[in-house]
Amino acid sequence: MSDAYNPRIVGFLCNWCAYTGADLAGVSRARVSSSLHAIRVMCSGRIDPLYVIMAYLKGADGVMGMGCHPGDCHYLKGNYNARRRFVMLESIFKTLGLDGKRIGLWWVSASEGKRFAQVTNEFTELMKTKGPNPFREEMFI
Amino acid sequence: MSARIGVYVCECGPNIPDRIDIDRVLEEISPLKDVAVAKRYRLLCSNDGKKYLADEIRSEKLTHLVVAACSPRDHEKTFMKVCLEAGLNPFLFQMVNIREQCAWIFSEKSEATRMAVKYIRAGISRVTLHEPLLQKEIKATPDVLVVGGGIAGVETALSLAGQKRRVYLVERSDALGGTAARLGRLLPHQGTDMRLIQEKIEHAENNENISVFKGCEVEDIRGFLGNFEVSLKRSGGEPPPEMFRVGAVVVATGFALWDAFDPDVTGYGKIDDVVTSLEFEAMSASGKILKKNGSPPRSVALIHCVGRKEKGYCSKVCCLYSLKFAHQLKDSQPAPDVFEFYSDLCLPEKTDQDVFEEAKKRGVRFLRADDIRVEGRNGKIRIAYRDGSAEEAVEVEMAVLAPAMVPAPDSDRLARMLNIPLDETGFFKEAHSMLDPVSAPISGIYIAGCASGPKSIPESVVQAQAASGKILSVLMLGKTLEPEVKVSTIKEELCTGCQTCLNVCFYGAISFDAFRGVSVVNEAICRGCGSCVGSCPSGAISSKQFTYQQLFKEVMEALR
Ligand SMILES: Cc1cc2nc3c(=O)[nH]c(=O)nc-3n(C[C@H](O)[C@H](O)[C@H](O)COP(=O)(O)OP(=O)(O)OC[C@H]3O[C@@H](n4cnc5c(N)ncnc54)[C@H](O)[C@@H]3O)c2cc1C
Ligand code: SF4
Ligand code: SF4
Ligand code: FES
Repeated sequence: MSDAYNPRIVGFLCNWCAYTGADLAGVSRARVSSSLHAIRVMCSGRIDPLYVIMAYLKGADGVMGMGCHPGDCHYLKGNYNARRRFVMLESIFKTLGLDGKRIGLWWVSASEGKRFAQVTNEFTELMKTKGPNPFREEMFI
Repeated sequence: MSARIGVYVCECGPNIPDRIDIDRVLEEISPLKDVAVAKRYRLLCSNDGKKYLADEIRSEKLTHLVVAACSPRDHEKTFMKVCLEAGLNPFLFQMVNIREQCAWIFSEKSEATRMAVKYIRAGISRVTLHEPLLQKEIKATPDVLVVGGGIAGVETALSLAGQKRRVYLVERSDALGGTAARLGRLLPHQGTDMRLIQEKIEHAENNENISVFKGCEVEDIRGFLGNFEVSLKRSGGEPPPEMFRVGAVVVATGFALWDAFDPDVTGYGKIDDVVTSLEFEAMSASGKILKKNGSPPRSVALIHCVGRKEKGYCSKVCCLYSLKFAHQLKDSQPAPDVFEFYSDLCLPEKTDQDVFEEAKKRGVRFLRADDIRVEGRNGKIRIAYRDGSAEEAVEVEMAVLAPAMVPAPDSDRLARMLNIPLDETGFFKEAHSMLDPVSAPISGIYIAGCASGPKSIPESVVQAQAASGKILSVLMLGKTLEPEVKVSTIKEELCTGCQTCLNVCFYGAISFDAFRGVSVVNEAICRGCGSCVGSCPSGAISSKQFTYQQLFKEVMEALR
């Protein structure tokens, strides 16, 4: 591989909005960073905070959650659960002295292929400027 | 028996090989643990492709299947069906998206190939952890409960009864028909035949498939699509009628008129001959539009939008019925002076403009007015208002208020009982106001007529018919229902009974078993969103097909 640093980002995408939006990005041949490895979940409410922490401790340079815009969740309000959990996660990260900017939650609708590409690329760029997750060396098996 | 995973990479015509080096992918995948076969095929979703796949499952004695192709949103169902036909449990299958989210979005073929390998590895590593799930079937009752016997409820009941459904029509007052049955007249283009509405009510009362419960309300209701248990209560404390079971519920509770207006501004209750629109309809229905002193008014003010600002929405039909009142007043001999005080005219239907133009021709005065105050003066009614910057006033003998339409009283109690939401205006919230306007967000519950917001009679009737159609297509006679399979479950050994999850589930699918001291998921209600999983402090909840272990494997492959 080239020597350009390619961060490893784990993304949890809600099936109904963000995952569909990512599909649309493909259909419209948007160019998306290959740093993101997408994992499909049924709703952003399924993003157990445990996964975010676990992915980070296992060496992910960044973790993205993506769900439906407020009011649009296929299961009524799962995305509000997700929002609360990411707020909580940020303060947990802060308390532990970790970098809370390495995790985040975005709203991406099924029709926002472009937005999916944009937020993913922007986040990748941000992770590039931050460099590798310091835990990568210590913990990664 | 050890696992035999079959991995099939679909070419999807030129779509995938153009952007991914499939042979390279197969080279990397083949040696992986438990992979029995890894092959490529031209077009797996074609009839030939499906047959090929089914043959492979049988001849290779596959225990698990991974298909790397388009998005699961396209063909996951297709390949699950193939599994079923080939005798493999369809949940022992994982679809991997290497087209939309791989071949089509990465700029370099080498990158797309690298990522395709990662995604397929993730699919392989999770699939062996899949559980063979079973599609259950539950018996459903085709009968329907309709709450509210206005025109929307009556029309729903008639549409369903016409298709041989038993309908329980529950009306809190002592008569069917709601507001529509209490009107003196219809809108000009709706004709003059008030009997049409009465006939509908009589048909509902006499229909052998409809059980009408007047003077009754729902006491309690619990259950889910196909199986709701309902008990009623009778106002006046008489013994309640029997309990019954229904498969679906239609909320047709309609509206009430806002009555919290300020008497100092509207004059209502303080000044004689200031009436609400419904009081005017009642006079009109009795054939006598008279002042308190028994004489006909020589001048009438029709005041629109009472409460629109306070409530924050337009009630949609008030402009039209105020126009109806104006025409009706102009029909009497001698015709009184009529003033319409409006702030914005809402004339949405194709026939409405004519009604308005015609009213102007008949001498009805339209006054665009702000800050209207109704004052009593020497036995007359003085309407003071602002027109731009000018202060104006008109004196009349009668004033008719068009108050905002608000939700029926106690809508919140019914909403809580049904576990469905109200919106910010207090009306029942649709599953989707644009794309699913007669469904509540919970399966098996529908909303028709003004229960979800102000509407005219024809709009309410359309919704009643739409809701009936939905029910007829979901609850088919003699058919069972297939509930969601990928539901959540709670491990009894781990649950501490804290009940945190109860509030997290928006569907009310989790209940607390006080006897055993643990929470349980009702699989017939659970939709499998997984929100509850992350809320459990003891890690007792797991969602099928998205278990902790399965997602853990995916994360590990993502970090490879
Ligand atoms: C003054 C006025 C004039 C109008 N004129 C016209 C017109 O000319 N043409 C036109 O198209 N539209 C007109 N409309 C609008 C029309 O009245 C409504 O579109 C229509 O009444 C809506 O019917 P519905 O069944 O949704 O509600 P409703 O008529 O409100 O009926 C709801 C019924 O449900 C019952 N109910 C409520 N809650 C419960 C409960 N919890 N349990 C059991 N029962 C319950 C109520 O008692 C009521 O009988 C007018 C409205 C007003 C206010
Ligand atoms: S949150 Fe967990 S421990 Fe608490 S009641 Fe629910 S399942 Fe049991
Ligand atoms: S998965 Fe969703 S619907 Fe099912 S019990 Fe949990 S929160 Fe409720
Ligand atoms: S379904 Fe997309 S966030 Fe809930």
